[in-house]
Amino acid sequence: MAVDGNNDTQSLPLFVPQKWNREEGGHFFHTDEGGDVSLGKGNHPAPSRMNNVPGVITGKLDDLIAMGRSNSLWTLTFGLACCAIEMISTHMAHHDLDRFGIVTWPSPRQADVMIIAGTVVKKMAEPIRLLYEQMPDPKWVIAMGTCATSGGPYYKSYSVVMGVDHIIPVDIYVPGCPPRPEALMDAFMKLQSKIKSDAKNHQIDDLSTSSVIAEMTTDGTVPPANASREEPTG
Amino acid sequence: MTAQDPQAAPAEKPVRHGPPIVIAEEVLNERGEETAAQLARTLGPLALESAGREDNPWARVDAKELHAVAKECRDGEMGMDMLNLMLAVDWIDRIQMIYVLYSTTNNRKVILKADLPADAPAIDSLSDLWEAATWYEREAHDLFGVDFPGNRDMSPLLLYEGFEGHPGLKSYPLNDYEEW
Amino acid sequence: MTNEPQFDHVDMMLNMGPQHPATHGVFRMVLTVDGERVVDVTPHIGYLHRGTERLAEVETYGQVITLFDRVDYISNLNNELAFVRAGEKIMEVEAPERAQYIRVILAELNRVASHLLFIGTYAIDLGGMTPVMYCFRERERIENLFEHVTGARMMHNYMRIGGVKSDVPDDFVPWVRRLIGEVRMGVEESDKLLSTNEVFLARTQGVGVIDGPTAVSCGLSGPSLRGSGVAYDVRKDDPYEIYPYLNYKIPLGENGDCWDRYYLRVLECYESLNMIEQCLDQFPAGPIMAAGRRIARPPAGEVFAHSENPRGDLGVYLVSDGSDKPYRVKIRPPSFCNLVGLATMTRGAYIADAVAILGSLDIVLGEVDR
Repeated sequence: MAVDGNNDTQSLPLFVPQKWNREEGGHFFHTDEGGDVSLGKGNHPAPSRMNNVPGVITGKLDDLIAMGRSNSLWTLTFGLACCAIEMISTHMAHHDLDRFGIVTWPSPRQADVMIIAGTVVKKMAEPIRLLYEQMPDPKWVIAMGTCATSGGPYYKSYSVVMGVDHIIPVDIYVPGCPPRPEALMDAFMKLQSKIKSDAKNHQIDDLSTSSVIAEMTTDGTVPPANASREEPTG
Repeated sequence: MTAQDPQAAPAEKPVRHGPPIVIAEEVLNERGEETAAQLARTLGPLALESAGREDNPWARVDAKELHAVAKECRDGEMGMDMLNLMLAVDWIDRIQMIYVLYSTTNNRKVILKADLPADAPAIDSLSDLWEAATWYEREAHDLFGVDFPGNRDMSPLLLYEGFEGHPGLKSYPLNDYEEW
Repeated sequence: MTNEPQFDHVDMMLNMGPQHPATHGVFRMVLTVDGERVVDVTPHIGYLHRGTERLAEVETYGQVITLFDRVDYISNLNNELAFVRAGEKIMEVEAPERAQYIRVILAELNRVASHLLFIGTYAIDLGGMTPVMYCFRERERIENLFEHVTGARMMHNYMRIGGVKSDVPDDFVPWVRRLIGEVRMGVEESDKLLSTNEVFLARTQGVGVIDGPTAVSCGLSGPSLRGSGVAYDVRKDDPYEIYPYLNYKIPLGENGDCWDRYYLRVLECYESLNMIEQCLDQFPAGPIMAAGRRIARPPAGEVFAHSENPRGDLGVYLVSDGSDKPYRVKIRPPSFCNLVGLATMTRGAYIADAVAILGSLDIVLGEVDR
């Protein structure tokens, strides 16, 4: 498995997945750089010198920046399985996502949102981790479909990671198999409101209260934006 | 009733409770009879057992003869130029390899079977006869642990490097997942 | 770094990784390139191996149908059809005629939807961003009909061993007739946009040639094989359901290049639409489910059934041990076998052609990895 000093030019090693290690609380593998989750999360990058500036000025600026960020989310083209087809359908002309400023971008270095659309297989776990770490802050993750949320119909399988939140932190979960395009649009609406409210409330490390579950609409209607929005508790 | 208990002995046939098991009758139709006759001519005395359903006759041969038999099927009167499917079935005490061959010129299909011992299954590779066999054999090696001497590349195809165990076998614990 | 007079020749490895906008899913190709020419290609798959075949051994036959929906997630009804036919063969039941007509109509519509997706994504791989919008507009129309009939846009879970789950609504026949007209216009639009485009022709003609005997030995099937001139179509060679009552032609290619594989899929769309019209004209009344047990408990035995997927010949080898769960289900995925021919087609091509060749094979990774 070790690849240093190996003259086999066929393999391009990135990470070497260790055995599924249950005692360590569900982490699938450890990277060499140390630390499993990057310091910055969601709306706020790692602390900077601006933290000492009086809050009156930066408060309004935060709102403005959050509004700008939420209205031009660039998603990483990352369709894994069946949910990818519904994701493509959502981007296309009928349920247009471009009108919200959301475009797909193939490079992770310029993307804001990563939509995990499809089943996460253990072999794919390290590329997902690598892509997540290649995305610059601020970044968000939407887990689309039941496979990405919790393993889905492949719950008993030997080669599936039961939910992508064992590997990367997730902001929005979208249930469905596959979720309707309207459900994915609702996820984006909730992500936009989450970005704005996170900026107002300066959420940094509190992941558990800032994950929101998007609604799965079964009759094709999108619930009104204020109806069931859960305010993250400070 | 069919729960796979990880603490039990690994190689236990699943116990099925319920109505008595009905064994299907295998009846060949007219076209199948013609194909079976051709197959019997091609295999001769090497066919240990043969039967068939509808128009797909099958024949079981010894594992050591399989390469020669398959070559004869491809080059002889049957003209089987496509390896349609290759699979392995885990019958706990043995592993059975099944090959489905198809002839595009004659539009006939035959099935060849070979039994391998469960502890060290190995059979000659057919990758020099049909290019399609290379990937099928890699997959069978990954999932069932069958060895194919003669295949030039046996690296894992479907599972990641370092996967322990062969998940296709019945003895592999499937529901061994615990929620955190 | 020696001082030798001749240059040291090193081949460069280019990784088109699991995340790539043009690899149609989580597929990884390692290209060994010499300048701009590809010397060898090593496909790496398994990034979507979910263990469908092993899971099918612990689920009942009705649950396995939902697993089969997700194997080739673009043509769901064709996968269900292959498995349901295997189940019917082993249980020795036959679906009533109305159920067979419904199945064939929906399967052919799904074939048109799958080919539309192929045309759109193939164009976007080669740089044309417009046809995909038109193709997905037509797909939305077809998915609207599927939702009306089966209840879901994509994972239908509609076919059962012995028939279909429920009868079609009353306005099915006029709705489908209207739909065929609209989809035909849509296919013509996408066809006109692409098929005579000079850039498209230059990028696909003469690229990725594979000849007939090599293709058959590699196990190719479906449009990828018919592009090389080998006339193998399961609907004609091993007919099933009500295909013997329909009048249709199978397009065949001549050169075995990407253009042939693309264009005969377009022609297959037109043929499928004609087939659906003939089915509507012959549509009978009657029951939609065979009489007998609702819980499938087939006799012990083995059976092999195959059907024509939009990607090729989807085979299902079903081993039953007499209980209500299968003993072994093996899926013969057409895309898995089509990928064996990728190395032969890509040797000597440019790097940009590798994208065109991979696109023309029309692989779906859910099927390759299962």
